[in-house]
Amino acid sequence: MHFSDLGIIALMLGLGFAIFTGVVAVIGAVRSKPLLVSSAQRGVLVVAFFLILASLSLVASFLTHDFGVSYVAQHSNLAMPWYFTTAAFYGGQEGSLLYWALMLSVFSAIFALTARRAPAALVPYIYATLMGIQTFLLIVLSTVSNPFVRLPVAPADGNGLNPLLMDPGMLVHPPMLLMGYMSFSLPFAFAVAAMITGKLDSDWLRSIRRWTLASWTIQTLGLILGMWWAYHVLGWGGYWGWDPVENAALLPWLTATAFLHSTMVQERRGMLKVWNLVLVVTSFVLSIFGTFEVRSGIISSVHSFAYSDIGSYFLAFLVLIIVFSTALFIFRLPKLRPEQEFDSVISREGIFLLNNLLLVGIAFATLWGTIFPLISEAVGKQTMTVGPPFYNAVNGPLFVLLILAMGLGPLLAWRRTSTRALWRNLGVPAIAAAACAAILPLAGIRDIWANVGFAVCSFTAGAILYELWRGMRVRHSHGESYPVALYMLINRYRQRYGGYLVHLGLVLLAVGVIGSHFFQVQQDATLKSGQAMNIAGYRLLYFGNYEETYPGTDTVKSIMQIYQDGQLKGYIYPGRTFYQNFGNQPASLISISTFGLTDVYVFLADWNGSSQATIRVFINPLTSLVWYGGVLMLIGGVICWWPARRKQSVVDSVSPVAALATPAAKRGQTVSKVQDQSNGKTGVPAKRRKAVTAASPASSPSPGSSRPSSAGRVSNGHDDEEVVV
Amino acid sequence: MRRRRSLFIALAVVAMLAAVWSYVLLQHPPQQTLDQRVQAVGAQLKCPVCQGESVADSQSQLAQQMRGVIRQQLQAGKSEQEVIQYFRASYGDQIVWSPPWQGFSLLAWLVPIALVLGGVFLLGFVLREWRMVTPTGATPDDVELANVDEADLAPYRAQLERELAADDPIFARQSRMEAR
Repeated sequence: MHFSDLGIIALMLGLGFAIFTGVVAVIGAVRSKPLLVSSAQRGVLVVAFFLILASLSLVASFLTHDFGVSYVAQHSNLAMPWYFTTAAFYGGQEGSLLYWALMLSVFSAIFALTARRAPAALVPYIYATLMGIQTFLLIVLSTVSNPFVRLPVAPADGNGLNPLLMDPGMLVHPPMLLMGYMSFSLPFAFAVAAMITGKLDSDWLRSIRRWTLASWTIQTLGLILGMWWAYHVLGWGGYWGWDPVENAALLPWLTATAFLHSTMVQERRGMLKVWNLVLVVTSFVLSIFGTFEVRSGIISSVHSFAYSDIGSYFLAFLVLIIVFSTALFIFRLPKLRPEQEFDSVISREGIFLLNNLLLVGIAFATLWGTIFPLISEAVGKQTMTVGPPFYNAVNGPLFVLLILAMGLGPLLAWRRTSTRALWRNLGVPAIAAAACAAILPLAGIRDIWANVGFAVCSFTAGAILYELWRGMRVRHSHGESYPVALYMLINRYRQRYGGYLVHLGLVLLAVGVIGSHFFQVQQDATLKSGQAMNIAGYRLLYFGNYEETYPGTDTVKSIMQIYQDGQLKGYIYPGRTFYQNFGNQPASLISISTFGLTDVYVFLADWNGSSQATIRVFINPLTSLVWYGGVLMLIGGVICWWPARRKQSVVDSVSPVAALATPAAKRGQTVSKVQDQSNGKTGVPAKRRKAVTAASPASSPSPGSSRPSSAGRVSNGHDDEEVVV
Repeated sequence: MRRRRSLFIALAVVAMLAAVWSYVLLQHPPQQTLDQRVQAVGAQLKCPVCQGESVADSQSQLAQQMRGVIRQQLQAGKSEQEVIQYFRASYGDQIVWSPPWQGFSLLAWLVPIALVLGGVFLLGFVLREWRMVTPTGATPDDVELANVDEADLAPYRAQLERELAADDPIFARQSRMEAR
């Protein structure tokens, strides 16, 4: 009995339980049998148990070096340290699929354990959808892509992992990105359940938004880790190459971002329901498309580690999802009517629509560029490549507009903004942008596009920081010190201020991208011992090379001193590692020294004996901001996601009209029941916001709006927040 | 009056910026070194033996040789476009890393642009449609509230203020002001 046998048994049992759970959940929902639904809940947990068991078996096979398992023999060897041996679990196609199925089952289990928070009518359908996806994965895993297949004769040693993957990045980037891909299943399941039941109320919106925020944060982390890894390993001085696989990972992120914004319009105004469903389904479809693209090998990419024939399975699954979702849409469309009307283009919802247009535009351009070579070939025209110059030209301007919209958003009120209020709010950000646009050209930055980009970034940063400052000032005037005020502000209005942090992070990231894209300096040099090269105020003095030999690998490193403005800053050792098992395939050891916000990136391109080296040096200004910005985005994402305390208040549940309609309605609980009745038919209590809107004081941090309403006063200061989560 | 003044200020700022930018751009016409020009041409070409790397970025033997050819030709006085044309003639269209602005591959550029512009028009159209439905901007709530006497609403407003104030000190001042 090997661990792999245990794994196969666990996979089979998992598959059986996944099918069982899906069927039972649907029957339980259709016949309204709560017992069957709770049986399905346990079924989800059982599936998770079997997938954890299967994954542990595979890890055990790796750690015991059971080379009788084909997958283990292909992706590990005796020389690898234990952490890479464990990470080899998802180093190939079969294992990464198993990892995906594992994560899906774990997330499903988390959902099942917290299911009482979700709208009860949806829960069984969510189980069924998740288990449907799980069934597909398990069928693939137990047939064409089984990680536990045994070899007739076990080799003495395995092949080992691809050298490019033998990097700390391997331990964090693939698991995060795969988890991100997978996590779009949950919003998708919510969307399917909502379409089947027709229940798209505010509870649904709240649940789906939290799960989407979680997916978004995980995907952001995966993308940023991928950028960091590429920067540290690939040796071309950049972190984003518009590679087809990078694009595939970016696509669902873009549509999920669009969704997170347009749900706010649905929440506040009851509009865009159909559009939101389209975005959720698209995000999931794009994440499956990404997998299909990576696995089928239809497009050449730096990520081509694992080709196989499972591409056709994923294509079939893709078609199935699209047909299924489209049919549900057509079935449900007549009931998805907007509840409120649009008031003005110059309003928060107007800017959200613009945001959606831009994000979807970027996503489409990226998808189009990725698949265009295929289309071109399919219609028998010339073969061609679509590379970074295309994406930079098309997406660059769209991103600049997006950042501008990000700055304008907080300045606008819901429904409509008076021109005067808009001008008043524009003041500070406009001054920031003008100052930036005046100072930078005089300081010697001559590139027009870089100047435009920096000016837009400072506009948006100005708008966000001013907004934060206003909030803090108001709280400060009530006796809170500034740090406490900032903390309280973020803690109380997580969604709003978490969102601002994400925006601020994106602005920082954009500044970093502009800096490293437009102002990168590159120089190649061949140096002999004792020679030095000068580049942009830095000086690299070369001493010589030395070699190190470890079991399985040989390493060459150059010794250099790095000087900044004539001062010795330290030693650097750029080098190469050769993996004997992979035909001496090299992996580079890049030396990156950070001075302030500037990176000195040294890549050993070639060497001769122990006293000559050819190096390629990049000076990457502002690249550190990419990482700082990424971290800030993650923090913001977590803050948005973080559950708030459960609170109950009359504000949450009553509009004056509903309250007046029922004299018995005195306190919160009674009133909320009444409101449930009054909104029961439509399902979306978007109107309840009115109560808050009418009552928010004009002195709140955002006196940006002035809607002439019967209620008299309107503010967009504190009404964004969920009072109950 | 005030509005006109702020308009003047805005115009003055814009004029000043325009002056700065045109001065800077005219004063120093961007001058590229040979290295930068080689780099720029190399970034437009795809390394034929690599996966997803440009000639400028790749460390492969072929890419290094190609960089040498680019350098020679630029030194010989050819323009960037002529060098790219040379490589297209010998390697085919797929050596250029962005689709050319001609023939079928024009679609690669035009479709996303057309889609975004179409989205803008669609958005404008849809927004107009939505606005026409309620020209006054009055929602059902507004209509209903209009029939309710303000005095009836007052206790609810006050209760709302109290609870908001209990929830967050920011709202407290407002309640005090109301009391006065």
